[in-house]
Amino acid sequence: MDDIARRGFIQGSAIGALAFAVGGTTAMLTARQARAQGVPLRVLTADEAATLEAIGDVLAIGAREAGIAHFVDQQLTVAPGHALFSLRVTEFRPPYVDFYRDTLGAIEMSAKSVHSRKFADFSEAEKLEFVELLSHQEIESWDARASQGLVYSVLRNDAVDVVYGTVEGFARIGVPYLPHILPPRTW
Amino acid sequence: MAALEKVDAVIVGAGASGGVFADVLTRAGKKVVLLEQGPDWALTDLISSDIWSRRLKGSGAPILYEGKHAVGRTGDMGWGTGGAALHYSANFPRLLPDDFTIKSDHGRALDWPIAYADVAPFYDRVAADIGVSGDAKAEERWRPAGAPYPMPPLKTFRYGDIWVPGFAALGIATVPGPAGINSTAYKGRPACIYDGWCNAGCPTGALANPQATYLGAARRNGAEVRPFSYVTRVITDASGARATAVEYYDARRERQVQEANVVVLAAYASQNPRILFNSRTDRHPAGLANRSGLLGKYLMAHGSATVTGIFAEDVENYRGSNGYHHISYDRHPKTIRPDAFGSTFWSTTAPFKPNDARGMAAVRPDLYGAELDAFMKVKARGLARITAIIEEMPSLENRVEPADEKDEFGFPLIRIVHTFGKDTLGLWSAAIEEGAAIAKAAGAKEVWPAKAIGPQHLLGGTIMGRGATDSVVTSFGQAHDVANLYVAGCGIFPTESAANPTYTLYALSLRGAEQLVRDWSSIAT
Repeated sequence: MDDIARRGFIQGSAIGALAFAVGGTTAMLTARQARAQGVPLRVLTADEAATLEAIGDVLAIGAREAGIAHFVDQQLTVAPGHALFSLRVTEFRPPYVDFYRDTLGAIEMSAKSVHSRKFADFSEAEKLEFVELLSHQEIESWDARASQGLVYSVLRNDAVDVVYGTVEGFARIGVPYLPHILPPRTW
Repeated sequence: MAALEKVDAVIVGAGASGGVFADVLTRAGKKVVLLEQGPDWALTDLISSDIWSRRLKGSGAPILYEGKHAVGRTGDMGWGTGGAALHYSANFPRLLPDDFTIKSDHGRALDWPIAYADVAPFYDRVAADIGVSGDAKAEERWRPAGAPYPMPPLKTFRYGDIWVPGFAALGIATVPGPAGINSTAYKGRPACIYDGWCNAGCPTGALANPQATYLGAARRNGAEVRPFSYVTRVITDASGARATAVEYYDARRERQVQEANVVVLAAYASQNPRILFNSRTDRHPAGLANRSGLLGKYLMAHGSATVTGIFAEDVENYRGSNGYHHISYDRHPKTIRPDAFGSTFWSTTAPFKPNDARGMAAVRPDLYGAELDAFMKVKARGLARITAIIEEMPSLENRVEPADEKDEFGFPLIRIVHTFGKDTLGLWSAAIEEGAAIAKAAGAKEVWPAKAIGPQHLLGGTIMGRGATDSVVTSFGQAHDVANLYVAGCGIFPTESAANPTYTLYALSLRGAEQLVRDWSSIAT
């Protein structure tokens, strides 16, 4: 059996494909597709999703369109033992929604204390300045259970996952994917 | 709760060590049940993605952490059949003879109750059983001669080979790394095709994960695996001298009691102490197998010192195996560093995928946005990494202990207390400095040494020794005071060396399981 044939010989079971609720049924979609189709969020509020998309897009360009909010939202609907996002491999204890709710709220509180606006409404320069402070754990008005360092790390990982960690993301930076088993729906 | 049929052996944990015990016992005709806390993974579940692979990492009841260097975290643990060995790199360096005699040689740490010569035949047996690729003769510059490996070394790629002149410039010899990955077809399993997804789980069978080797064989021999089974304690008889059963909660969270002639705890170095502490009775008021008071003590981790360089060429770092391309024991002698005691083990390491903890983006966690994008598009193909594994000396202060907080069934959660001592930190600093010099000598254009020590692996906590007053188990993993209770895995190591532990874990488990079968009539009845 040659390499290419062997590489494809156990093409994937669809176990664990991301399941989004669409119009009363369940559809298997990538997070990018879910966002593009306007699939309703099930856990995050619209404001929380807007904050996550805005900061995600600063951390990894394209995270908004790649569906960072839908990815996180979908992960928050599954049991912790089935979670795929990077928060799972930190010491943060489930329920994971507590991390995102608390963290995204803290970002908004800090944003308002700095510029009296929502983070999503910041100018691009203001967003970069805010994230730079977050990355150095230097936001003075921070009020969240998780440290700024953990928040920066987890949100950056989420953004990197959806932008660079997918089949499309590999292609975007010219890295051959070389799967043994392709992720369901190109994840 | 329906009564369960009594079995010959119940094994807690269906990972690397549990798989070895299950294989040996079923081949001896024993009826075996394995209780696994997580899901039952098949090879076809091992999706090539660093996102999907996280579902193989630790989950379940929370662990509390104290100390400066949290270890035994979810990333190091497994979740489901195969355990941590379902997402490991299958790097198979072995301990060296002086690792077994540190106390005698230096008055430091602990001696093992056995010598290298006691374990060496089992290294060779494991290599023959599950397949190891490497160059044994080349390694014998540092260790006694043994059997040749059954397969030649794995293919290397530029991101590994590029370091060799750098090591040589500092006078450090390197040889091909031994790996539990097939370089050629072996025992019906195919050769590696170098796609670089070992840590996402290898579905082809080329990598010696438990499903493809011991655990798979045990299941074919009739071993039963019960996933989503959370074990709370071992039940003993009125005398306290014999284990009679294991209590667990099944997938429906209903209490079950599995009676058995022999109990094997193979549930990771943090979970075995939890179960033993929770098994306390009037006869064992401090926890089962804890007459020494050392249960949970002498917990150890390895320190990881990584140095990443960027080279002015495409080093093909997206492919290959996660097996080490090159290794060196030249910094193994315990007193080789002037200001810190212990061993250091050098290696050129794994390929890079874009994301996750070992990925390209993680090399520069300070970058985001446009700078990150430029780094990923332009520079990431030139990345290559070396890693030094650093030995930690056992300390009574580093431990697993019951916490006040309870799990959902009312049993104490565990707390892991861990801080690296000054020797480990000194070895780490020396390795970081040396690694940066190797990178420069190898021609790296930019060099990024790790900024903080990265704890990895979890060992100790149920250490082996000569008697019940100085240890928890014998060299076979047999509890001193409860003859039909075994503990398996890295937890029984009294010292850790600087080598990845799983090859030694396999060897010790094979040795312990064969002793159990050999002495079955006196142990189990």
